[in-house]
Amino acid sequence: MTDRESKPSKAMETLQEISTWPLADWPKRFPDARPFGYLNTHVPEEVLHAAGFTPVHVFGQRRAPQRAETRLPGFTCWLVRSALDTAMAGELDFLAGMAFAHTCDSAQALADIWWLAVPSVPVVTLGTPVDLYAVGAREFLIADLGLFRDQVAALAGHSVTDDDLRASIVLHNEIRRLVERLYALSDRLPSPALLAALRAGHLTPRETYCDLLANLLAALEADNDPVTPDAPRLIVVGAHLDDTSLYEAIVEAGGHVVDDLLDLGRLHYSKLADDGGDLLAALADRYLTQVPIAAKTHPVCRRDDALLDLVRARAADGVIFAPQKFCEPHGFDYVTIKNALDQADVPHLLVELEQAQVTGQMRTRLGAFVEMLS
Amino acid sequence: VVKKSYRKLKVAKDLTRMMSAYYAKMRIASHLQPVAWVSSGAPVEVLVALGVLPLYPENYGAILGAQRTAVPLIEEAEARGYSPDLCSYATGHLGSVFAPEKAPMKGLPRPDMLVASNNICGTVVKWYEALADHLDVPLFVLDTPYAHGAEIKDHAIQYVAAQMEAFIAWAEKQTGRRLKQKKFMRTLALSNEAVGLWREIRELCVHRPSPLNAPDLFTQMAPIVVLRGTKQCVNYYHKLKAEVEERVEGGIGAVPGERYRLLWDNIAIWPGLFRFYHLFSRAGACFVCDTYTHAWSMGLQTDHPIEGLARAYTAVYINMSLQARTRMMVDMAKRFEVDGAVLHANRSCKPYSLGQHDFRRAIMAKAGVPAMILEADMCDTRAYADGAIKTRVEAFLEMLAG
Repeated sequence: MTDRESKPSKAMETLQEISTWPLADWPKRFPDARPFGYLNTHVPEEVLHAAGFTPVHVFGQRRAPQRAETRLPGFTCWLVRSALDTAMAGELDFLAGMAFAHTCDSAQALADIWWLAVPSVPVVTLGTPVDLYAVGAREFLIADLGLFRDQVAALAGHSVTDDDLRASIVLHNEIRRLVERLYALSDRLPSPALLAALRAGHLTPRETYCDLLANLLAALEADNDPVTPDAPRLIVVGAHLDDTSLYEAIVEAGGHVVDDLLDLGRLHYSKLADDGGDLLAALADRYLTQVPIAAKTHPVCRRDDALLDLVRARAADGVIFAPQKFCEPHGFDYVTIKNALDQADVPHLLVELEQAQVTGQMRTRLGAFVEMLS
Repeated sequence: VVKKSYRKLKVAKDLTRMMSAYYAKMRIASHLQPVAWVSSGAPVEVLVALGVLPLYPENYGAILGAQRTAVPLIEEAEARGYSPDLCSYATGHLGSVFAPEKAPMKGLPRPDMLVASNNICGTVVKWYEALADHLDVPLFVLDTPYAHGAEIKDHAIQYVAAQMEAFIAWAEKQTGRRLKQKKFMRTLALSNEAVGLWREIRELCVHRPSPLNAPDLFTQMAPIVVLRGTKQCVNYYHKLKAEVEERVEGGIGAVPGERYRLLWDNIAIWPGLFRFYHLFSRAGACFVCDTYTHAWSMGLQTDHPIEGLARAYTAVYINMSLQARTRMMVDMAKRFEVDGAVLHANRSCKPYSLGQHDFRRAIMAKAGVPAMILEADMCDTRAYADGAIKTRVEAFLEMLAG
């Protein structure tokens, strides 16, 4: 173990702590913030932030759902079941609202079920185009963003002004620039710490997060040794990860995560929004030019191409797919991307996540995969 | 000896003949006219008016299910990396594309184009993307925003209408043909007429005894799905309606000695089309209404055809909020005077199955009748627990008997 793994910087320590903090304890940690929940990466956090809220991602909890079983069938993915269960237990009553952007069929249903099952946390929804290239997609999204802003303003009790929105876009763009630098330095960071830093960006008041990231980057930039120079370089593909256990298992297996195509990671933090002109149009344009998440489609900007570009750019040795069990979009997407990787001779491994993020069998398979790459 | 517990429709023979001819003809016709593979909620009227032969992978999936031939094809898809948890229409059909030699009718004839709309699910978008890649044919995705609230927003209709215009231009380009207004309007009128007839036929089941049972509806819906927009479809439903009216006038029920009237929710359990539904009909329980075949009941306004199409294809049942669907289901339960409801938790179909616990509560509270959720799959017999299902159905029927 290197010094940095045993003695992380203060900023890193804080980010890791936030990443593991139970959601129910959030109000104690940030008593002055007004938290607003969201479940998927396309929720425009700038709008929530501009209204005075702190956007907080509702990640899955590590425990068997009980209450959600009375609302959802067993073949629902863990993210959706766990989120509803936590909310039905009253543990999210501190949220001023819950925002859903349209992604998959299950999240779509959850938004409606939430409305009935968790009246204490009001729901706001945003319609997002499924085909990012569709004729009229931009106009539709701008109009729906306008309605989203109105819904959020109603819960905030005041309007969301353009000045507030512009300031929020500037802040979020700054975070995105810092995260881009963080990825560039991922060699110098233990893999679980990288994921913890990305996850913390969904859980921390954004001004605080921006400062923490800047401090972390300063520490990393001062020290240019890679953590594990000989470890195979890996990229993780998936939606959301409830904790850092997968990354810990990858490290235990001897691998190092240099980048990802995760909804909560690279996709969430990629692309800047224009901070001038029509701001809702700027948010729409950012969305429509991003690499699509698995539930979306784009005839030209494809996920398999994006991943291959990333593999080349990051000189990655292999790819680990980490979809949630019962996730339809990633279930189809896996085959498309796998075929592209096979053609390009990029090794890959599938670890399907359930309630427990990493099992003994997964560890064995990760070990064998990393050994093959070494 | 199994007591005969359902009455066959006389027109069933015509349907078999017509559907066999449709599938036999498709192979010849595919050499003479462009072929499109389309999702069940695609605006097929545009394609029909352009002389395109639309073929329906979902209907093919239902055939695989009903013939109990889906599993070997699903396994072909699984061998290529598709998860067993995915939609079995998709994996069954993809299996037929990967291994046509193992598929009934050797699969569907190769398409020239693909058209999918997410008004029924997001899965079709991913499924058709995979097909477009594998077959290297152009794909059009019609994006129909889900209506979370009580109503569809105006800007959503404008968005779908803009895409509808783009779809027409795209289809014209693919076929090298111009959409003729007269033919288009005639196709829309025929589609509307068939949809209207289908709605009227289903409404006849409010009578006691009900002239049709769910398995009748599931088989009789085939033309409204695959032949929508044709004269043949309209002619068939006129004939079916006449026979159903005859049953109503004669007091003839689909299930002899109808004792219980039930509501069905979700896609049929195709492999159990007779065996599973027989568990009910032999006890005198008839499914007099359902939400699945109800999905093809939306007429469209032909005075503004583009907007009419946009609205009709956005407002399909499963694209509406759970709240809207609850209202429709409770209304259906009351109107058809049902004694209970069976909600099929279909492992293959998340948009249809998530929310059923709330439907169940609403039916019990607002229609005052018992409701049961039963987990199975529309095609994959591996997900059908025979003994457990039988026990639960029997317990439910005993409860109805009081």
